[in-house]
Amino acid sequence: MPADPELKTKVEEIIRDNDVLLLMKGTPEMPRCGFSMRLVGMLEQLGAEYGAVDVLPALDPLREATGEISDWRTFPQLYVKGQLVGGCDIVEEMFDSGELAGMLGVSQPVGAAAPEPERILPGGSQQSPPMQLG
Amino acid sequence: MADLDQVKRLIAESLPGAEVEVVDEGGGDHLRAVVSAPQFEGLSRIDQHRLVRSPVQHLMDDGTIHALSIRATDPTR
Repeated sequence: MPADPELKTKVEEIIRDNDVLLLMKGTPEMPRCGFSMRLVGMLEQLGAEYGAVDVLPALDPLREATGEISDWRTFPQLYVKGQLVGGCDIVEEMFDSGELAGMLGVSQPVGAAAPEPERILPGGSQQSPPMQLG
Repeated sequence: MADLDQVKRLIAESLPGAEVEVVDEGGGDHLRAVVSAPQFEGLSRIDQHRLVRSPVQHLMDDGTIHALSIRATDPTR
């Protein structure tokens, strides 16, 4: 099924307008999936500023849209400067190696390790409010 | 319930020369693929993952595989 062109354009705009963008299930305050929660935890630990979009209200249309935009249909997805970096697996590897901090232009916290799900405390000062898709 | 051997074979056939391991991480539909493939050389991680995912995408689309976590390594690095 082809993506809704209007939604696809909207997603492309959001990706373009946010240097660091997380497409996630739930919100940074209340992630609704363990992988999304882990990604939020990593961004929070790095103190990165990021935009977040909750994909759950339009999950299937958004799968179609990101499938066409970046050939990736599962969430979460982290975009940096308009490029898809990856989902939880990839970002976790890059967090552990310090590559993620480098890519985001922040310093790696001392002794940082990718957070385990139970160690994450959702919420923090850096997060942007979730954006609405229309 | 995914057939682990089938998943492994699909990935291995699309990446000749690769070493592929597929394990069940829970419930038979949360799988983990550990893949080392010469084709990964010079690719970004996301492109390496795309190469692993693409031969089994149909199994993800139809729900046979609910989640596929991937560990991709470039044997030349």
